[in-house]
Amino acid sequence: MSRLYGEPIEVWVRDGDPVQFVWRDRLYSVRQVLDQWVVAREWWKTSDTDPGERRFWRLEAAAGREIGTYELRYDTASDAWLMLRAWD
Amino acid sequence: MADSISRLGTFPHLHVASAYSLRYGTAFPAALVERARAYGMETLALTDRDGLYGAIKHVQACHKAGVRPIVGADLTFDPGEEASRRIPAPPVSDRLGPGWAGEPSRRGGRRTAAEIPEPPRVVALARADGWGNLCRLVTAAHHAGERGEPRVTLAMVAEHATGPDGLPRLTVLLGPRSDVGRAVAERRDDEARWLLDAWRSAVPGVVVELTDHYGYREANAATRMLGLAESMGVPVVLTNAVRHLDPADYRIGNVLDAARKLVPLDARHVEPSSHAYLKDGAEMARIAHRICGGDQARAARLLAHTREQAERCVLTPVDVVPLIDNERPKLHLPGMGSDPIPLLRHRCEDGLHDRGLARSRDARARLADELRIIEKKELSGYFIAVAGITDMIRTMGIRCAIRGSGAGSLVNYLLKIGEVNPLDHGLLMERFLSEGRIGLPDIDVDVESARRLDCYQAILDRYGADSVACVSMMETYRARSAIRDVGAAMGLPPHEIDTIAKAFPHVRARQIRTALSDLPELRGSGLNDRALDSVFQLAERLDGLPRHVALHPCGVIVGNRGLRERTPVERSLLGFPMSQYDKDDVEDAGLLKLDVLGVRMQSAMAYALSEIKRVDDLDVALEEIPRDDVATYEMIRASRTLGCFQIESPGQRELVAKMEPRTIDDLIVDISLFRPGPVNSDMVTPYLEARHGFRRAVFAHEDLRKPLAETEGVVVFHEQILKIIHIMTGETLSEAEKIRRSLDDPGRRALVREWFVERAGRRYDQATVDQVWQVIDAFGAFGFCKAHAAAFAIPTYQSAWLKRHHVAAFFAGVLTHEPGMYPNRVILDEARLCGVDILPLDVNRSGRTWHVERSGPSEETDDLSRIGAGYALRVPFSAIKGISEAEVERMVQGRPYSSMADFWERARPSRPVAEKIVEVGGLDALHGLRPGEPRWRPGELTRRDLIATIGALDRAALAGVAQLSLGFVEPINPGELPEMTEAEAVRSELAILGVDVSRHVISFYEELLAALGVTRSRDLLRCRNGAEILVAGVKVATQTPAVRSGQRVIFTTLDDATGPVDLTFFESVQAHTAATVFGSWMLVARGVVRRTGRRAVSLRAVHCWDLTALDRLWRAEGLESVQKLLSERPTETRGIPSRAIEYPNGYRISPYSDIGPTPGVHHPPSNLSHTSQGSPTLTLTPT
Repeated sequence: MSRLYGEPIEVWVRDGDPVQFVWRDRLYSVRQVLDQWVVAREWWKTSDTDPGERRFWRLEAAAGREIGTYELRYDTASDAWLMLRAWD
Repeated sequence: MADSISRLGTFPHLHVASAYSLRYGTAFPAALVERARAYGMETLALTDRDGLYGAIKHVQACHKAGVRPIVGADLTFDPGEEASRRIPAPPVSDRLGPGWAGEPSRRGGRRTAAEIPEPPRVVALARADGWGNLCRLVTAAHHAGERGEPRVTLAMVAEHATGPDGLPRLTVLLGPRSDVGRAVAERRDDEARWLLDAWRSAVPGVVVELTDHYGYREANAATRMLGLAESMGVPVVLTNAVRHLDPADYRIGNVLDAARKLVPLDARHVEPSSHAYLKDGAEMARIAHRICGGDQARAARLLAHTREQAERCVLTPVDVVPLIDNERPKLHLPGMGSDPIPLLRHRCEDGLHDRGLARSRDARARLADELRIIEKKELSGYFIAVAGITDMIRTMGIRCAIRGSGAGSLVNYLLKIGEVNPLDHGLLMERFLSEGRIGLPDIDVDVESARRLDCYQAILDRYGADSVACVSMMETYRARSAIRDVGAAMGLPPHEIDTIAKAFPHVRARQIRTALSDLPELRGSGLNDRALDSVFQLAERLDGLPRHVALHPCGVIVGNRGLRERTPVERSLLGFPMSQYDKDDVEDAGLLKLDVLGVRMQSAMAYALSEIKRVDDLDVALEEIPRDDVATYEMIRASRTLGCFQIESPGQRELVAKMEPRTIDDLIVDISLFRPGPVNSDMVTPYLEARHGFRRAVFAHEDLRKPLAETEGVVVFHEQILKIIHIMTGETLSEAEKIRRSLDDPGRRALVREWFVERAGRRYDQATVDQVWQVIDAFGAFGFCKAHAAAFAIPTYQSAWLKRHHVAAFFAGVLTHEPGMYPNRVILDEARLCGVDILPLDVNRSGRTWHVERSGPSEETDDLSRIGAGYALRVPFSAIKGISEAEVERMVQGRPYSSMADFWERARPSRPVAEKIVEVGGLDALHGLRPGEPRWRPGELTRRDLIATIGALDRAALAGVAQLSLGFVEPINPGELPEMTEAEAVRSELAILGVDVSRHVISFYEELLAALGVTRSRDLLRCRNGAEILVAGVKVATQTPAVRSGQRVIFTTLDDATGPVDLTFFESVQAHTAATVFGSWMLVARGVVRRTGRRAVSLRAVHCWDLTALDRLWRAEGLESVQKLLSERPTETRGIPSRAIEYPNGYRISPYSDIGPTPGVHHPPSNLSHTSQGSPTLTLTPT
C-alpha cells in the first residue's frame, strides 16, 4: 500500500534525473528510475504567464538498507520538489 | 562525437500534423520545414488529419529549403462492427493514464460524451511511387464516411496499399492511437498480436510506430509495443506525433481540442500535448533510450530503422508539384478525343468569320501571336474545353459573361467565351497569358448566381465525375470566429459570446486587443474588462489558423480520368466533388481550372428580361443593345445609379457624377479608378482635371502619348504599364508583364528599378527615365487590369440600360435576387423615386417573387422621376419573414381565393404566417379593408378582426372540426376590434417584409424634422459649399473602406424619402459618433456640405443622434430640449491611434478598413419606438 505525503524535500539531480534526496532528515539514494512522466498545468485556471509543468518520477531508492518505492514531483514554475507518495 | 551528432540531426519526423489538421495542429507547413532545416534534418513528413490540405505547401516549402518531403495522412480508422463488439470499451482511466489529471484515484463515475475517446487512427505515408495511391485512399476515406467524418477500414487501406505489381505503395504506421496500440496499452496482449497479424497480412507496408510524450505509462506501453513488433518481425519506427512547433504552443492545442469537441476547457477533455512539438534529433534520441530501457544498441537500431523507412517514402517534389518545373511543367489537361491543336485553329478561323474579322490584318496578326503562345504552352485543349463549357451554359439559357484578364485574349473572343473584343479597347493578352509567366491561365466566367450549381452539375455530367472537381478554400480564424470558439472553450454563455463577437468589425484575430483600445465604439462598450482579457489573449493566438474547409465560390478543375491520382477529393456540403487543394495549390499541382462565378446581377438581369417578356411581350437581347445610348449615360451622370452593377456605392455615385461618363470606355476608366490604389495614388484628381479641360494632359515623353492618351496622361491600367515598359526598353510585352508582376514584391522593386533605369537610359534621357520610373513605381502595383474593367463595364452598362428603359422589370430582378449592397427597402424607395408604384401584398395577385404589373399608361420621358410611370411592383409571398417554400408554392397554386376562410383552407398557411399576411394587408383587397382612421368601425371588418378569426380557425382545426368554413367556428363580429393605424401598418411592413410599402417610414417624423429645419436630400444641391446643416434618414449603408490617408473613415448613406444623403465620419469625430452610427437605424446628423462635383454633394459629419431617441425627447420634453441637445459641440479627438499599415510607395491603409459588412444595426429594430400612445398590440387574438 502506498501512502500520500506531499511534503517538500531536497533533491540532487544528475542528467535530469534525481540521484539523491533528503526526506524527514534521512538521505535516500536512487537505485533505479521506474517511470517518469510529465503533466502540463491547467493553465486556464491560473493567470501566470508561464504555468510550467509538473514532472513526476516513480523510483526505487534506499536509505541505508531499507529499499522502497517513491513518487517525487518537481514543479518547474516554482522550482520545488515534493515527496508525493511512498510504498515502504 | 561529431559524427553521432550529425547522425542524430538527421532524425526524420514521420508523423507531423500542421495547422491543416483542422482544429488540431497549430503550426504551418513552412514553419515546420524551416525548423527541421534549422535542426539539420534532411527529411520531413507532413501527415495531416484526414486530408492532404497542406501537402502542396509542404512539398513546396521542402523544395525551397532543400529538405526531402514525405507526405501522408493521419486517418480515422474504423475497426468495423465485428471488432467493436469483440473489444469491450475499457474504462477511460486505463486508456489515458492518470498522467494528465495527475491523480488517478479521483477518476471514475460517469463519463461525459467528450470523454469517450476519439476513434482510433492510423497514418498512411506515400512511398516514393505511391502519391496517386495516397490521393485515392484519402478520396476513398471521404467517400466512405459521412461528410466531415472520413474513415478508412482495413479493407480500404489494403485496396490502395499496393500497386498493380503487388509491391507496397504506402507505408502504414500503427501507433499508440491505432487499434493495435490501444490493445497494447490496455494489456490485451493476445488481441494486439492478433490485430497486428491481420494488418500485416492485408497491408505489406505496415510498420509499428512508437511515440512517447512523457505521459503516465506511455514509455512503458511503447516498450511493450516494441517488444511485440520485434517478436513478430514487423519493422518499427519512432515518431513524436507532432502537433506543435514549440513546447508552449500546447495551450493553443488545448483550446483547439475544446473547440473540436465542443466542450469547455477541462483536464478531462484536452489531449496532453506539451511534448508533442517538433523535437530535435538529440531529444528524439533521448526518447529512443527511454523506450529501449537504456539499451544503447537497441535505441540506435530503432533510430536507424526509422531512417530506413523514411528513405522509402521520400517524394520527388516535381511529381507532386509539377509547376516547380516552370519550363515544361507536366500539366493535367482536359480529356480530348482528338488532337486539340488543329481543332483550336479551326475554331478560331471560324470565329474570325463569325465576328466579322476575317479581313482584319490586325486580328490575324494578333491571333497568330496568341496561338503561338497557347500552342507552346500546350494549352489548346484547355481553351476548347472552356469554350465547350460556356457554349453549354448558354444553351441551357443561362446568362454567362467573361470576367477578368481573360477578356484580353482574342482567342476567347473568337471562341465566344467572352463578348469583349480586345482589339476595340487596346487590351493585351500578355496580362492573361504570356511566355514568361509562371503559372497557369485561368478563364473566369460570370453566370447567374441562382443557376451556378446547375452549371456545375452540367460540367460534371459532361466530363464525368472522375475528371472534374471543385476547388476548396480554407476558412481561417478571424476575430469573430476566434472569440466564438475561445468563448465556448472558456465556458461563457452562448448569448454573451454572440454579443461580444458581433461587436467586433471584421478584423484579424490578432488585432482584437488593439481594436479594443483603438476603436471608440469598442472603448466604450465595457468589453475591455479584465475578465475577458484571457479570452481575447487566447483568441488572438488562433489568428489565421484554418478552421474549416469550404467550397471555393467559383473554381472548377476540368481534367481527365487521371485527376484522382493527382488530387484528393472530398464531398462539399452540396455533394459536389471538391479537391482538398485551394486555388493556389490547384495551379501549382498543374491542374487547369475554370472559374464559374455566380453573379447575382446576372440573375437579376435574366429575371428582368423574363418580366419584360411577360408584361410587355418584348424580347430584349442585352448583348445586342447599342452601347452608346444617350439616355442611359444621362442617367448615370445624374448619379441615379442605385441598383446598377459596380456603380451604385456612395463613392461611385460621387465619382460618376464628377467624371460624367459618355461611352463604354469612360465606364472602363471609371471602374478602374474606383480602387484603393488609384484613389490613394491621387490618380483621380489629375485625370478629372485633364478630362474636364482644367489642365492639359502631361506626358513624360512624346512616345508615351499613344498608350496614355486614353486616360489623359494618367496611368490607370496594368496594360499601360506593360506598354510603357515595352516602348522604353524595347522588351516584349511578355517580358514586360513579368516585370510588372515583380513590382508587387518590395524586395525585387529595387532590382527592377536598376534594370529599368539602365535599359531605358539607353534610349531616353535621365530626367525622363526617372520621371517615368516614379510613375511606374507609384501606380504599377495598384493599377487595374483593363481587361477586367472592360469585362465589368459591359454588365454595368447593361444594368444601367435596363434601369433606364425598363425600370420596373429591372427592380423586380434586383429585389428578387438582391445583387447589391443596399437593403430592399432602399431599392424599393429608388423605384418609387423613378415613378414606379409599389403595390401591397395581395393573396390574389402576389406571386412567388417580385412581379411587375401595369398600373396605367407608360410615358416617353426624360424626367427620371417619371420613367417608371405606368408600372408597378407587387410585394411577393416570398418576402414574408418565416414563410416556407412549400407555403409559397401552395399560395401561388391556390389563387384565386374567394375569402380568408377559402385561403386558410386551401393554401394551408401556418397560423403565424397567416397572421402576418393579414397584418401587412394581404387580404385587404379581398375584404375591402383599409388601415388608418377612424380606428373603430362598428359593423365593418378590420384587419384585427381577421387575425382573431385566424385564431378561431386554428383552434377549430385543433379541435378536429373537419371541413372548415366560417360557419362552423366561433363567430367574430365585424368591427369588434379596432383597425390598425397607418403607423402600425408601416411598422408591421418593416417587421414582416423588411420594406415600408404603404408609406416611407421617415414620414412619421416629418413634423419633428420640419421643426428642426432638417435639409432633405432633394434640396442638397441648393446648399452652398461649407454650410453646416442637419440631415436625417434611415441608414441604408455603412462602409469603412480603405482610403488614401490611412485613416479609418466611416461612410454612411441615409435615405430620407427624397433620395440618398452621403455622410463621411472622419476619425476626429468618431469618439462621440461611432457608437451611434453603428448602433442606430435612423439618424439625425449635423454635417458640413462638400460640393464634390456639378451634381455631387456629400457631407462631412460633425455629430449625429438617434432619430427615435430625439423623437422620444421631443414628445416628452418639447422642441427646446431637442434643440439644446443638438447644439452640443463635443471636442474633436485625435481619433484612432495611427497604426496605419504603410506600403513601400507611401500608400497607407487603416487596419480597420473593411470591405465586409460593418458591425451594428442594419435592419429595422423589431420595436420602432414611434408608437401612438395606448395603441393596442397586434396579438390581440381573444383566447
